[in-house]
Amino acid sequence: MELFNNLALGLSVALTPANLIFALVGALIGTLIGVLPGIGPIATIAMLLPLTFHLEPTSGLIMLAGIFYGAQYGGSTTAILVNLPGETSSVVTCIDGHQMARQGRAGAALAVAALGSFFAGCVSTLLIATFAPPLAVVGQSFGAPEYFSLMVLGLIAAVVLAHGSVLKAVAMIILGLLVGLVGTDGNTGATRFTFGITELTDGIDVATLAIGIFGLGEIITNLSQPEETRALVASKITRLWPTREDFRRAWPAVLRGTALGSILGVLPGGGATLSSFAAYALEKKSSAHAAQFGHGAVEGVAAPESANNAGAQTSFIPMLTLGIPGNAVMALMIGALTIHGIQPGPQIMTERPGMFWGMIASMWIGNVMLVIINLPLIGIWVQLLKVPYRFLYLAILLFCAIGVYTVSNSATAVLLAAFFGVAGFVFARLECEPAPMILGFVLGPLMEENLRRAMRISSGDPMIFLNRPISLGLLIGALALCVLVALPAIRSKREEAFQEN
Amino acid sequence: MAFSRNSGAPRAALRQMVARKNVLAGLLFCVVALAGLFLSRDYPIGTALRMGTGYVPRLLCWVLLALGVPVLVQGLIEVDAGRPPPAPGTSAWRPVIFVTASLVIFGLTIERLGLVLSILLLIGVGAVAARGLRPLETLAAAALLIALAWGIFILGLGLTIPVWPGW
Repeated sequence: MELFNNLALGLSVALTPANLIFALVGALIGTLIGVLPGIGPIATIAMLLPLTFHLEPTSGLIMLAGIFYGAQYGGSTTAILVNLPGETSSVVTCIDGHQMARQGRAGAALAVAALGSFFAGCVSTLLIATFAPPLAVVGQSFGAPEYFSLMVLGLIAAVVLAHGSVLKAVAMIILGLLVGLVGTDGNTGATRFTFGITELTDGIDVATLAIGIFGLGEIITNLSQPEETRALVASKITRLWPTREDFRRAWPAVLRGTALGSILGVLPGGGATLSSFAAYALEKKSSAHAAQFGHGAVEGVAAPESANNAGAQTSFIPMLTLGIPGNAVMALMIGALTIHGIQPGPQIMTERPGMFWGMIASMWIGNVMLVIINLPLIGIWVQLLKVPYRFLYLAILLFCAIGVYTVSNSATAVLLAAFFGVAGFVFARLECEPAPMILGFVLGPLMEENLRRAMRISSGDPMIFLNRPISLGLLIGALALCVLVALPAIRSKREEAFQEN
Repeated sequence: MAFSRNSGAPRAALRQMVARKNVLAGLLFCVVALAGLFLSRDYPIGTALRMGTGYVPRLLCWVLLALGVPVLVQGLIEVDAGRPPPAPGTSAWRPVIFVTASLVIFGLTIERLGLVLSILLLIGVGAVAARGLRPLETLAAAALLIALAWGIFILGLGLTIPVWPGW
């Protein structure tokens, strides 16, 4: 079996002491920022991105991946115990999880969330291992026109599935594409939008932009709001194990959540948040205990928590196999690859099998670690919730500053990040989602390159995108999505999906 | 807002309009697009076959403008429909100014003053951004963070950042 050979190779990489430590560090940091409201995985990964420059690429990726799925575990803790989402992907977990906690079943809710996440993590690791290789083979047959169309589809889908105004989200993509153009034009050697600043001729680093928009922008946004009070329902968790009845009801919900999350994670724009919202809605609609939802239904914890972990992990599939990021975290992962001079795309699997399979195997190991970190050690994380934000943000501020300075060892990068920080705050105030901007920023140079190549193949005839069947199919898909989202019926459904109270 | 009393009706109406998120967002997109078009006015455009430096930037700016206008119009329609403006958000000047200032100071001093002093400045200025941080708390936090940063970045990762001022 090739799958097992590959996984064996992966395990041999992931089980080296250094990589085990980085998986653990990633899982710990992920849990930490998952538990703490006010800092999310995007900002954290952005801050730590420059550090991965000093690590082996495989170790760096293993750590960053651990932060992402670790945050899904940690987010549920805060949702259940404090009724605040530690992450956006655990917003719906608050609803029933916190009710369970108030009924004295906090331990059961935490255990169901962690075990559901673990199950979903195992399944989606296997899914990645099974489906990534064939997809990479498909990707290798793509030419420039196909790639360009695929990126168009990816960007459009990312917008359609994200919440908020579609128009604004598309504008944010374009804004990201424009920021991505700053620097030297690879084809002509001319500089664009550099304002005569020499440091800008190399372009803006993805870490600088992401640290500014997400890290610093979030600090300013959080500080401009009054600090929320965190009332812990139970600082001592007595009974951790769910009852037999809980198990009986949670299992099918975990299965459904895992299935839904795995599918939604692969889609561009999908990932953890969308998966958890959709899974909760599905449970509520299909459950025989519908009346219990909102009053501590165990399915309402099991389904979204499995779904967000599944979605977080399967969103690696398009990134690893096609080099196309489906969400902002994946865009940063691509940034981490490019820091090491690794061209993201289908060739990674064949050129660097150790890294590819090592990362996949590390996900499973990371999930094992996370169950241990999150269940027996839950008391420690609960204590951390008592740290007020006014201390937390000083640490975030420092890590942002040092992180961005080490990107290029230049003061200019720090000033630039400060500028993007204010921009990130303005975007948040104006309800413009910044995630599509990062996607546009990362895909921008790739799109321009493929557009130019396609045009050279066709001698300047734009019909090349329509004459090639795969490219045509992808563009039709993109157009269909645009039409769909404009239909009033879909539009109201889409808004409904993100408003679950 | 203090100056609203003597500003008269037109200015109040203007402020009402600008308070709409979509109006501001639309304006933002349009301004960026127009600025981009202005900046790229001298970039050679070339042809679709041989795209010049300015081809893609100008294309994107036009698309951004085309998106910004409807967002702006959407916002203006909301104003026209007389829907009540969103509740004014809490003032954010304090975090905006002090978070930005702390970073600018950090960026300008790290090479000359070294890690320890520039972190002190970063935390000192940054702490003003939040309400309710006592001086002693700030000092303790700074000491802890300096130790942490030194441990991770200098000791652990071996970064070549000066720790103390170079004389």
